Amino acid sequence: MMRLSWAGLRDRRSLFLGAVLTVCAGVALVQSSLLLLVTAATLDPPAGASPIARMRFAESNEALVAVLAVTLGLAGLLAVFIIASTFAFAVEQRRRELALLRIVGGSRRHLRRLLLGEALLLGVAGTVAGVPTGIAAMAAQAALLHRLGLAPDGFTGRWQGWVVPVSVGTGIVLALAGVLIAARRAARIRPLDALREADEVTSGMTPVRLSLGLIAAAGALVLIGLSPVGGAVGGQAMATSVSVCAVISLSLLGPALAGGLARLLPAGATGPLGLLAVANVRDDARRAASVAAPLVVLTGLLLGQAGAASTFTAAGRAEQRHDTRADLVVEGTGTPLTLPPATGVAATETQVPVALTTGSGDMAYTRITSGLVVDAGAYTRVHPDAGDLTGLRGAVVAAGPGADGFSPGDTVGIRVGDTDLGRLPVVAAVPQRIGGGASVLLPAGLLTAGQLADAPWRSFVTLAPGAGHDDVADAVPGSATLVGVEQWLRQDGAARTSSSNAVLVAVMGLGALYALIGVVNSVVITVGARRREFAAARTAGLTRAQVVRTAVTESALVTGFGLLLGGTAAAGTLLAALITTGAVSGRPTLDLPWTLAGAVVGCGFLITAATSVLASRAATRERPVTLLAARE
Amino acid sequence: MINTLPSTLAPAISVRGLSRTYGNGPTMVRAADGIDIDFPPGTWTAVMGPSGSGKSTLLHCAAGLERVDAGRVMLGDTDLTTLDDDELAVLRRTRIGFVFQSFNLIGSLTAAQNVALPLRLQGRRPRRTEITDALAAVGLSDRARSKPRQLSGGQQQRVSVARAMVTRPEVLFADEPTGALDTGSARGVLDLLRSTVEGGQTIVMVTHDPVAAARADAVVFLRDGRIVDRLVTPGVREVTDRLVALER
Ligand SMILES: Nc1ncnc2c1ncn2[C@@H]1O[C@H](COP(=O)(O)OP(=O)(O)OP(=O)(O)O)[C@@H](O)[C@H]1O
Ligand SMILES: [Mg+2]
Repeated sequence: MMRLSWAGLRDRRSLFLGAVLTVCAGVALVQSSLLLLVTAATLDPPAGASPIARMRFAESNEALVAVLAVTLGLAGLLAVFIIASTFAFAVEQRRRELALLRIVGGSRRHLRRLLLGEALLLGVAGTVAGVPTGIAAMAAQAALLHRLGLAPDGFTGRWQGWVVPVSVGTGIVLALAGVLIAARRAARIRPLDALREADEVTSGMTPVRLSLGLIAAAGALVLIGLSPVGGAVGGQAMATSVSVCAVISLSLLGPALAGGLARLLPAGATGPLGLLAVANVRDDARRAASVAAPLVVLTGLLLGQAGAASTFTAAGRAEQRHDTRADLVVEGTGTPLTLPPATGVAATETQVPVALTTGSGDMAYTRITSGLVVDAGAYTRVHPDAGDLTGLRGAVVAAGPGADGFSPGDTVGIRVGDTDLGRLPVVAAVPQRIGGGASVLLPAGLLTAGQLADAPWRSFVTLAPGAGHDDVADAVPGSATLVGVEQWLRQDGAARTSSSNAVLVAVMGLGALYALIGVVNSVVITVGARRREFAAARTAGLTRAQVVRTAVTESALVTGFGLLLGGTAAAGTLLAALITTGAVSGRPTLDLPWTLAGAVVGCGFLITAATSVLASRAATRERPVTLLAARE
Repeated sequence: MINTLPSTLAPAISVRGLSRTYGNGPTMVRAADGIDIDFPPGTWTAVMGPSGSGKSTLLHCAAGLERVDAGRVMLGDTDLTTLDDDELAVLRRTRIGFVFQSFNLIGSLTAAQNVALPLRLQGRRPRRTEITDALAAVGLSDRARSKPRQLSGGQQQRVSVARAMVTRPEVLFADEPTGALDTGSARGVLDLLRSTVEGGQTIVMVTHDPVAAARADAVVFLRDGRIVDRLVTPGVREVTDRLVALER
């Protein structure tokens, strides 16, 4: 069997090269994300840093860890999807050969062993290439994170020996799993199928596939339904997860949907080549669905994540604008602003990292988050939505706009630097914000001036009648900046957008590249598997150029299908984002990443078209008689 | 009428009351409609009839490749209609051989590897001489290392015959084995089949070609899924006449 596996491998180079490439890239991506995550999670603050500085480091590091955790999750999801679907697809392409084996007496077990043997060889080859590729990917990813401002200076992934078995497991187990699913079906092939020129066209839907697809669809719908009650944090998490569920569901249900959609295509309206292309897609909707699967994943996840990011950022900008009442904004560190009463009043908010402990006993959980030291009266004047903060005085705290997991009535442990303030009651809560913000509000006076010595602060200035910008400027300390509120809102909005973009690029960048490899791969594999069909078309009188044109038309149809399903998955996330923003801030918001969507659609068509031109030219290089002569 | 050659031996394959329909409602086709026939051991039977008369269906059912709706198919003492998929697979790699119009070789394997395949599937390591002998028997000793695409149609078909014969099957089934070959190559394959029959092989062969049929020991004629005529030790003229009569 192994010998047969090997012979099979040598003979279908493009098919198997594609499979090895997907394993290699998948292993590299997972390995690199995992190593970076572990490195970030165990990163130590610079030596000699003050307790507060250590906490600040930990705070920004937690953000990095969160980004990397999502990156790893998506990398794993993509690897599972793309490796499993490529391998399943590779098996699908070989029905005829498998039926032949059945005719000469191969049992189902033989077929399964053959396919698993091949998967093992390919998985091993892909992993062996993937581990060193992963090291290169790790350097690239670390550099990217640093450039995006998400990772500290000198951040590089640390190689760990234990990752090798993990990578081996990822590559080989995923390859075997993909084949195992397809092999069960393929082994059921009847020997007589080898005698039919064309495969029996099956719907491609199995009961298991259908039920998994429907479960995932139900999951997406439940997430959409729950998003209004999830609050700012939960709602955003649910909204971004909708497209993940929807992508899984739509790629599983793809064959059924492709069959339905293909019937809507106009038959015969577009000349003989169009007719042939449409007929091919209709006749084998299942193949169309397999080719489209990586594109569905790419479009659904990329546009879903990007749409959620830009919508939530837009909502954050709108909240900020809606909930800030001031004329000028001063920002600095250290000594805060003091204004003469004749100039105006300054509401100062000082930012400190806080170790926040929620729950108690065994359930106690401590994380580093941001706290804001405020004067309750001044805070409510600047942020009129904040509600009643009169109780925020003395040894108490309030839940801030970014609070998650505690509410008024709870007590929480607070530590700032090495000062432990003990357990403090939560006396109030300001409304949660989509754009987040501090987790806790601390009343002014809870911390000493020494503890706030290097802390960054922001003062919202309301001018006294007759006073102007210049009067405030005189009072602003040298290192601080003073801007009008309009300009500050613009700057703040731009900063939010750019950091949300940075996270998106970090999380989706390499993943999107990987999914793109999957897209190109599936086109190359299908086109390569159709050499005989192309040869037959040419003997029927088509020129080589016409064959190529038919293949390109087909791949455009399939691309359209993939983009449609991916777009649908992304739309699910956008719907949930719309509902969430409405529920949290009262202003339903939608911000579509049109440029990105346009680029995805354009590149999708362009890349699949270019790939199918190259692949179909390669597949028609030999003269048709040569191919038809060997009657397998 | 039980269609059988005069023979004292128990049949190699015995078909009783075989029926197979395809489709249902207005599109229903009775591809086999109560066929009874015995194929005695060591004889070569040709199956003829107009296109769509059920020849391939009979062959596939008799070989256990196709499910039957009614009837029995006995290979020796084994009733093929009661076997499950795995048992049929074992049967195909031990007691039955196939040759088809399209040569059905595996393109990635050499001629020798293709021939060795059924033996490997039996889980044994074929002796080198087994393979070279099988290839020599079909006159292809020098092409053992060639891939199917490097062989002519006639050569590919001879490799198929070698592959079918290498397990020394009780019955060899052939569906239009010369259908895709020119006269010369066809004669080569028919000579090959004749020589195996002389060596005691049982062959059931579907063909459209009266010349091929005339090489068999007996010809049965099918129409609309029923056996309508038969000839023993046929001549080309006779076969052609009966066919013409059938198609009228
Ligand atoms: N898988 C199938 N599904 C539906 N109908 C079938 C199938 N296989 C055969 N038939 C029908 O059964 C009838 C007999 O077919 P069969 O292939 O046995 O004919 P044949 O005698 O071998 O014809 P030919 O000489 O053209 O090969 C035909 O009408 C055919 O259309
Ligand atoms: Mg036939």
